[in-house]
Amino acid sequence: MDASELQPVTDFIKGLVPFGTLSDLTLERCCKSLSIGYYSKASGFVPLDPAHPQLYIVRSGAFEVRDKNGELLDRLGEGDYFGFPSLLSGEDASNRVAILEDGLVYHLPPDMFDLLRLESREFDRFFNRAFAKRLRHQGRFKAKDLTTTSRITSLMSRTPLTIDLNTSVAEASRLMRKARVSSVLVIDNNKLVGILTDKDLRNRVLAENLNGDLPVHQAMTCNPVVIESNSLVFEAMLSMSAHNIHHLPVLDNGQATGIVTSTDILRGQSSQPLLLIGEIERQNDIASLIQVSKQIPLLLQNLISADARAEEIGRVLTSVTDALTRRLIVLNQQILGEAPMAFCWLAFGSQGRQDQAACSDQDNGLLLAHEPDDAAAGYFEALSRAVCKGLDECGYVYCPGDIMAQNPKWRMSLQRWQQVFDKWVNTPEPKALMHASIFFDMRSVYGPKSLFDSLQDSVLSKTKDNDIFLAGLTGNSLTSTPPLGFFRKFVLERDGSEVKGIDLKHKGNALINDIARVYALSAGIKEVNTAKRIRALMEQNIINRKDALNLADAHEFIAHMRLSNQGLQYTQSLPITNYLMPQSVSSLIRHQLRDAFKVVHDGQVGLKLKMMRNF
Amino acid sequence: MNAIYLKLRLQLDALLCKNALLRDYYQALNQQLSLPVSQMPFMAFDLEMTGLDSQQDQILSIGIVPIIAGELHLAKAKHLLVQIEGSVGNSAVIHGIVDDQLTHAVDIEQALQWFLEQTKGHILVAHHAPLDLCFLKAGYLRWLKQEVKLIAVDTMALEKKRLLRKHDVIQEGSLRLDACRSRYNLPVYAAHNAAVDALACGELLLAQMAAIAGKDELVLTDLLA
Repeated sequence: MDASELQPVTDFIKGLVPFGTLSDLTLERCCKSLSIGYYSKASGFVPLDPAHPQLYIVRSGAFEVRDKNGELLDRLGEGDYFGFPSLLSGEDASNRVAILEDGLVYHLPPDMFDLLRLESREFDRFFNRAFAKRLRHQGRFKAKDLTTTSRITSLMSRTPLTIDLNTSVAEASRLMRKARVSSVLVIDNNKLVGILTDKDLRNRVLAENLNGDLPVHQAMTCNPVVIESNSLVFEAMLSMSAHNIHHLPVLDNGQATGIVTSTDILRGQSSQPLLLIGEIERQNDIASLIQVSKQIPLLLQNLISADARAEEIGRVLTSVTDALTRRLIVLNQQILGEAPMAFCWLAFGSQGRQDQAACSDQDNGLLLAHEPDDAAAGYFEALSRAVCKGLDECGYVYCPGDIMAQNPKWRMSLQRWQQVFDKWVNTPEPKALMHASIFFDMRSVYGPKSLFDSLQDSVLSKTKDNDIFLAGLTGNSLTSTPPLGFFRKFVLERDGSEVKGIDLKHKGNALINDIARVYALSAGIKEVNTAKRIRALMEQNIINRKDALNLADAHEFIAHMRLSNQGLQYTQSLPITNYLMPQSVSSLIRHQLRDAFKVVHDGQVGLKLKMMRNF
Repeated sequence: MNAIYLKLRLQLDALLCKNALLRDYYQALNQQLSLPVSQMPFMAFDLEMTGLDSQQDQILSIGIVPIIAGELHLAKAKHLLVQIEGSVGNSAVIHGIVDDQLTHAVDIEQALQWFLEQTKGHILVAHHAPLDLCFLKAGYLRWLKQEVKLIAVDTMALEKKRLLRKHDVIQEGSLRLDACRSRYNLPVYAAHNAAVDALACGELLLAQMAAIAGKDELVLTDLLA
């Protein structure tokens, strides 16, 4: 029997991406391997047999994919697929597929699925990408609210003050004063028997006219409300408000291992970005601003543990940096007096692109409306020194390359900035360009928009369609390549004998930033954020839709890997680096990472073809 | 018709039968009847004929698709062309089979033997089964000179029973295969041949079984009129 005899099935399968890319012969074999099931709403869910994973192809009806918490991940109709995550990962399905409307579903057996992946790269990539997309969806739903997803271990104090139950309340008070805490856990025979708080001391000792010799067990709250260490912050809040208390001892297998207070929870919440930015804007002196900035690492950690998108994390962290910078400028102007002329505070590099991550250094400059006289020059020197120093103290260390507003070289009038850019653009010397590329990712953080626009417009008018400059910039960007060797094996970086891993930043995201930058400058696009640049390039048809989406996906994926890797390093108290050891991630992630790097490689090849063909 | 009666009748048929091929056929079927309906093997089939009269008209082609544990298996779907005496005549327009194609065909006796082998141990399923059974029985009678007992689920009869429970009158045309399928959200198949129609009928049975069963376990009596 040949496939034409079941034409309706073959026709349907052939019309589906990615089956359409298969040869007729393969398609026929594929269709012959199918089995068909009918799923009725009355049975509720599609029974997914972990012993028999298969690809489900919806022929009719409507289905819903929900994760194990019941969160909606995807809605499926005719021509959609499910079941592929467990085929790809080899793990049991954790998602459930609800039947919304009766329908017919084709089943593709796993051996045929693997065969098609081997035979067609498009087929393989399609399902890998669909899987990545579904994972991202999962992340998006998870990132909704930090208090509902993060655990109390992230904010409890792990070294609670403890005392024996026969200690006097006076001694307890002295210990509390010394440790600057408002409560102490009372222990008898290694077991938690009570808690003594400021309130207990007031209500049960002072107000009762008792003296300090009173043993703790007569003043404490016996058998206090406790919480398990794996509870959610949210549950701690509920428990506190239900019992009208502010202190919750944390138990781990019956042992008191910490304490969480309402203040801890408030502090945890203030590391949410909006609250943090609001707090920055309320500070009236530099010392307290520095204090507030100490919450930034926690904010990053919270965002990572909530699995926010890498692009969002970069934008959030950058808006915090921007707010800090602006506040520092305003506060210092209150000290130094009003500026003698209009000026813009310029952010370059990662702050310019809005993709800051952990331990970013400063890259900034000052743009003055016109040439300053000696008095004005002195004013701006003092201002920029103060702001750069403030940023350094807030955790944004001085730029090792000295690209900072406090360096007179990068504190110039509009006219002189234009001359500097002119020189880069018109006589592109490879070495000078290598250092200059971050200047082309510039954004104004403070100051009149019109002033910044006149600089940016003049720069873009010179870079647009400037073949020689663009070729030079491209040449520079191609000196570094993604870490893929023959047979798509990862190339690991070494430091002497020590294997450092894959440099996700310099061999991944930086290369995509380079590609997006060259294209954006060639087209005079004003955006500096890489994702926004790619989007603009796609809309103007400078990069085709498919390549643009691939590049944006790869950028997000690599950045996400870098952040989650750094989150892991942070929680394990390891030094924060950009290096990932491939064996530390699952084979599926490795596979996707390879694909992402392949996209970077293809992007570089495309860029070279477009920009350097005449040279 | 209940399953115990069916089993008894099949045992009796097997005992009385002198033809080894048929005896095998009855015994194999009898064994499957002990399974729960959800695990029972079915064989959806369809015949294309030169006309509607089983005494005069001939079988042109046979399509079969097995249902195993509630799923249709395309790997085992088959389509067999049958030689006829004389020309296809006018009905070729209907079935799209031309004389030329029939040169690949087997003769009717080979086809009938093939059908018994293929469907052995399966309960037959067809839309408007009595007509197809009529042609088969007539064929076996001519070939083996003896009557063959065939058991088939009729998806059309099932549908009629279900519709009558809801409505008093059944609209003309509402029992046609495509009309039945559309009530269960099953896709429209443009092409028709015996294999596609067998597939279409098998899918309809799956949908009907899901609808009849709801959350209960089905029994064979629910399916046999």
